[in-house]
Amino acid sequence: LWTLATTHASAITVTFGSWFAVHEYRFPLVLVADRLSLPFLAMTVVLSGLIGQFSATYLHRESGFFRFFLLLHLFAFGSLLAFAAGSFDLLIAGWELVGITSVLLIAFFDRRPAPVENGLHVFGIYRACDIGLLLGVFALHNWAGSASFAGGMPHLPATEATVVCLFFLLAAAGKGAQIPFSGWLPRAMEGPTPSSAIFYGAISIHAGAYLLLRAQPLLAEAPVASIAVIATGLATAVYGTMAGRASADVKTSLAFASLAQVGVIFVEIGFGWKSIAVAHVLGHALVRTLQFLRAPSMLHDYRRMRSAMGGEISRGPTEHLLPDGVRLWLYRWAFDRGHLDTILDRWFIHPLYEISRLFTKMDGIGTAGRAARGTDPAISLPGLAEREAK
Amino acid sequence: MTANLIWMLTGIAITAPWFAAVLLIVRRRAARIIGVTASLVSVAASVLLLLTAPSGESLGESLMVLYSCLTMASTLMLPKRDCDAPTMAGVLFMLGATLAAYSTDNLAVFLAGWILTMVPFLIKPWFRVPSWRPVAALSLSSLALALAIGFIWASGHSLSIEALKDLSPGGGAAFGLLTAAVILRKGICPAQAWIADLAEGGSGIPTSLLLNGHFGALLVARLILPLFPRTASNLFPALSWFAMATALYVAIRALTENSPRRLLSFLALSQSAVILAGLESRTAEGITGALVHWFVVTVSTAGLFGILRLLEVRFGENLTASRYFGLAAHAPRLAVSFCVFGLALVGLPGTLSFCSQDLLIHGTLMSHPVTGVVLPVATAMNAVSIFRLFARLFLGKRRTGFTHMADALPRERWTLAAGILFVVLGGIFPNLIVGQRSAEADAVAKGMARQGFSDAARLLPGDLVENPADHLR
Repeated sequence: LWTLATTHASAITVTFGSWFAVHEYRFPLVLVADRLSLPFLAMTVVLSGLIGQFSATYLHRESGFFRFFLLLHLFAFGSLLAFAAGSFDLLIAGWELVGITSVLLIAFFDRRPAPVENGLHVFGIYRACDIGLLLGVFALHNWAGSASFAGGMPHLPATEATVVCLFFLLAAAGKGAQIPFSGWLPRAMEGPTPSSAIFYGAISIHAGAYLLLRAQPLLAEAPVASIAVIATGLATAVYGTMAGRASADVKTSLAFASLAQVGVIFVEIGFGWKSIAVAHVLGHALVRTLQFLRAPSMLHDYRRMRSAMGGEISRGPTEHLLPDGVRLWLYRWAFDRGHLDTILDRWFIHPLYEISRLFTKMDGIGTAGRAARGTDPAISLPGLAEREAK
Repeated sequence: MTANLIWMLTGIAITAPWFAAVLLIVRRRAARIIGVTASLVSVAASVLLLLTAPSGESLGESLMVLYSCLTMASTLMLPKRDCDAPTMAGVLFMLGATLAAYSTDNLAVFLAGWILTMVPFLIKPWFRVPSWRPVAALSLSSLALALAIGFIWASGHSLSIEALKDLSPGGGAAFGLLTAAVILRKGICPAQAWIADLAEGGSGIPTSLLLNGHFGALLVARLILPLFPRTASNLFPALSWFAMATALYVAIRALTENSPRRLLSFLALSQSAVILAGLESRTAEGITGALVHWFVVTVSTAGLFGILRLLEVRFGENLTASRYFGLAAHAPRLAVSFCVFGLALVGLPGTLSFCSQDLLIHGTLMSHPVTGVVLPVATAMNAVSIFRLFARLFLGKRRTGFTHMADALPRERWTLAAGILFVVLGGIFPNLIVGQRSAEADAVAKGMARQGFSDAARLLPGDLVENPADHLR
């Protein structure tokens, strides 16, 4: 910070050589500290420390106490690596670590099948969307010859920039739980509350926004991709607001509130309002973390607030402006979380399984019947978890 | 080191396990001690050979070290139930045959090694499976290789691999037969089903040893590319396409597979199929990536198969990925090891496969850009499948139908720890492994650049090709 302030440099690049090298090809270990990465790095360090301190008390004598801290530290390392990376190649390394620790923390209470099944669902969505990041970086290498942004983002013609940005949008939408991948966020609330706070209130949920902010020079060259970012963000903001209002538990409500805010941040990025987006990320992360950490005490807070206000806390009249029929339809839609999981299941996961079962039949292996009977919804919650619970 | 000493070390590496196998068949006692000792001798001899091999010409020696270490780990990991004299003899017999194939420069010895590795899977007292497909695939692949070598010999050539380089001996017929041998032995589509049959019906750890010999990739690296550079440049990409189709096919197939053994065999096949595309990429990065990937897939899948067998022995062979077993509560060390090997197989950052996949994707940018699309997609699906298997086996409600299930025993624990150290430390500090594979890749690429692969002259660094213009004429 001091060097940035005194030298008026736009970025400081720290090179640690190559992670590995084969002749001319090198995987550069380059870290960048600039006006984008520093706020994210500061946010990660501060919130990880706070959550660590909070969790030491909150999870005291909980089984898996040390596992939690192992994963928390691994997550903090992954986040710092992703935010400080000087190339998209290195960013992938941090990005993947954030993903796997997130999944393992969702499945933290591993004696119950529901958290494990939810973790598996989230892992499936993460991996599917991470294909976007890998393909985007692959396309960057193919067209620009490099995926490094330490010395400035590689320049690409509009069509190529659009393709790369759309790939990045897929990855960002997955990590940021934007439409149509929003269904995983409420499932992720199965993890311990401190991990929900830091992952889905603060850092992991904003990693997608960071990726798009980093790719901003490319987005500026790609109006179609910018419009796609705005549309995704806008749709998610509306969806998050409505689904949050129909949620019965506090953590899910907060998750949808996060979703709505991240949607707005995507809109800001799409419009190119970079500084506003960064400020929004920081403000939102801090407030949301506090809300998540206070979530277990919500009833206590509510009572105290009600006493202070001298009666019931009234709700806003917005919903009452709508006709009853529309309100009921909207409620059903929001209660089922926009049918997003059903749509993904029906249009993507189910056809993929059908292809898999067809391959099973083609292989002619003896258990074709067993697999084809659909005993195995790998990343679908209903079914297995419920059967196990019974 | 003198040639005589190299011959002696090679002979020791190969014959020590064979001698031990014969001893076990005769004496039928102290199977584990004899097995570990014999494979340790092979490891020591292979390491000495590797240390003395010239830089860039150590592919065979590196593979010998890898395979003998793998066999030693397997002899340590074999559960007591499986550790009888016939099984151990079969494992040691395979070790000797595999090392013979890795180390030889003679086509006849290569063929003998190829056939001898599969002999234990054809004979009933050893690892013969009830299904006909493994027997058919292994036999047909051997027949194809024998016919190819027959064509080469009939066309008046010697049987020395070094002397045959660039000569396209035996013409298109020999090339076609060698390619058929690769397809059948490696389990490339449409010959992929036998691998799952073998994994399901065979003995777990010996099966993983057979698959991890990677004889299909060895045939490509040692014979097809150096001997048929011109034909390979025209026709071999088709094989790479088939390999990538296989990677995708079995990755999709694994999504609904519930048998842990078959699922693991699909994942191993999917992850190892891209090795062929890397070998054929004509770039130093691609070939290096393929060789590193070869190592990491071998270690990871051996670890996974080993842990699965330990679970089967402790819990019963009715394990399935269709319900939760909650075994992590009983065997946390096995659970952690399974998780690490599984994630290492699918390219988690910080493991060696992240580096190998990065190299593979970058190395195949020009020759096989589709690898950059297929590999992430197949790996993503494989990651879901391996996590599903991990979750179903180890997570969920703790089983209470039995009073006690042992976690990893000390000999198993230290063996697994060595494998984990390899994939994790290799991923954090990859330069040692990547650097050595890079030198070996140069040798493979140089052979390809001599003739036919005119692109190689452009893609490889100038020092590999004495006069690039000569190759472009």
